[in-house]
Amino acid sequence: MIKQRPRSRRSSFGEPLMQGLLWSSVLLITGAFMWLCSDIVRHGFRQLSWDFLTQLPRDTGRSGGIGPILVSTGLIIGVCLGVSIPLGVGTAVFLNEFSAPQRWLSQFLGISLDILAGVPSIVFGLFGNAFFCKTLGLGFSILSGGLTLACMVLPILIRSTQAGLQSVPNDYRLSAAALGVSRSAVLWQVLLPAAMPGLVVGLLLGIGRAIAETAALLFTSGYVDRMPTSLMDSGRALSVHIYDLAVNVAGGEQNAYGTALVLVLLLMMINGSVSWLGKRFQQTRILDV
Amino acid sequence: MKSSVSLTHALKVTIAIASLSFGLMACGNSGNSSNATPAATKKLVLTGSSTIAPLASELAKRYESQHADVRIDVQSGGSSRGIVDARQGSADIGMVSRSLKPDEKDLQSFTIAQDGVAIILNKTNGIADLSNEQIVGIYTKKITNWKEVGGKDAPITVVNKAEGRSTLELFASYFKLETKEIKADSVIGENEQAIKLVAGNPDAIAYVSIGTAEYEANQSAAIKLLPMRGIEASTANILNGQFPLSRPLNLVTKTTPMGLSKEFIDFAQSKANDDIVKAQYFVPFVR
Repeated sequence: MIKQRPRSRRSSFGEPLMQGLLWSSVLLITGAFMWLCSDIVRHGFRQLSWDFLTQLPRDTGRSGGIGPILVSTGLIIGVCLGVSIPLGVGTAVFLNEFSAPQRWLSQFLGISLDILAGVPSIVFGLFGNAFFCKTLGLGFSILSGGLTLACMVLPILIRSTQAGLQSVPNDYRLSAAALGVSRSAVLWQVLLPAAMPGLVVGLLLGIGRAIAETAALLFTSGYVDRMPTSLMDSGRALSVHIYDLAVNVAGGEQNAYGTALVLVLLLMMINGSVSWLGKRFQQTRILDV
Repeated sequence: MKSSVSLTHALKVTIAIASLSFGLMACGNSGNSSNATPAATKKLVLTGSSTIAPLASELAKRYESQHADVRIDVQSGGSSRGIVDARQGSADIGMVSRSLKPDEKDLQSFTIAQDGVAIILNKTNGIADLSNEQIVGIYTKKITNWKEVGGKDAPITVVNKAEGRSTLELFASYFKLETKEIKADSVIGENEQAIKLVAGNPDAIAYVSIGTAEYEANQSAAIKLLPMRGIEASTANILNGQFPLSRPLNLVTKTTPMGLSKEFIDFAQSKANDDIVKAQYFVPFVR
């Protein structure tokens, strides 16, 4: 009784304050997000049409559409994911399942990944330009851009897949071993489905980072707004197009907003389908989480 | 045992990816060395100034539409990148939105257009001339009332351009100002926006691309262009090089241009394509 009285008095004063702080932070965050979205939708909605999505940009993007830019963006993201998902999942599985965590190799790999995850994107852009464009001779191309983005996305992807694998109880592995299930079967049927939420989080973060990337792509996939005919063509990404319209092209603001709206919608669509695919993969496996 | 099985599997995947990327690399090399295969389309690469890149893209598009076998790739990245790439040969032509510095004279430059900046006031403003010091004073807010420079008693509305605009860079470097030193009442992006603002506010001052300002003034917008050091702000005075606040937009090459490079530079300088230059609010270059 004696102990409780001061505590209850303190909380009667502190609770509304804490509640107020929490509510105001929630309102601030959602408010900022809503303001940003409504601004893009309000300015960009009038631009949005089938023609805008399919036609070629004209007059440096002031008029016409973003057809080739949409295709280039899709190809760049495709290359990025096609390379980073197998490599990322493979590395995470190696680190978590096939190497002892105390070994210097896995420790060194872990540290380098954490450093890489924090490297500014312009550094990746310059690296991509020097390595993929010049050393490997890929030039300004969708392939260079996609591979550069893959380098950028890999650390995030590996780290979150690893976290997903770590969250799988060790009992699963032991039980599977006791049943005589091969390790690759355990991996495919039990561990990966169980780690899927982690992989999905990593993918969402990675795609978000990749699709918003401007600096790294300006130096690798380039500025050309022609319809790409192969992965070796230079292709302008949506983010680069927005940047150029907003900064270099007088009178480009309207189409910059339209393109920004398309970018946001595209991101939502990709995120939705990644989450859906992740769930589906999980459900088709024997594991019932 | 089992771990070695999946490791060999991982190895296979790695090899597959590596061979795929090397295969693509091979394609890339064959695509790049277009000179070796005369039957293939001819390719020209331009890199450099982000100010020139939109103009060069439009010129390239028209050139491509007239020559079906040519592909011109325009890449952005800044003037210094244009210099470096032209020197190293990783681009056929560099784009540089300033005059070449003395240590860059190893390159050859070809002006395709001019960019000039003029100070504009509302037409009803009694001021007819401002010295450079007065303009610096106004843009650093040391002068805040028109009466301090000989006008009526009214506060000055300073209009500045958004960071990253080429007109801001040119303005700031001409008056030797850091962009952070400039204190503005209103920050805008487009030339048209500045003109509308000044036309609607008798106490505003702004600076805009001369081509746009002249066009709007002729369309009877309520603005006037201030002379600089007594030289009238006009496209004519940019053309003859008299107006101080201007810069050339250059294409640079390492050696005397030949073949496709020469054809494209001639094309970019030709009078027939002045409409593209004007559409980007630059001043066409006359030799």
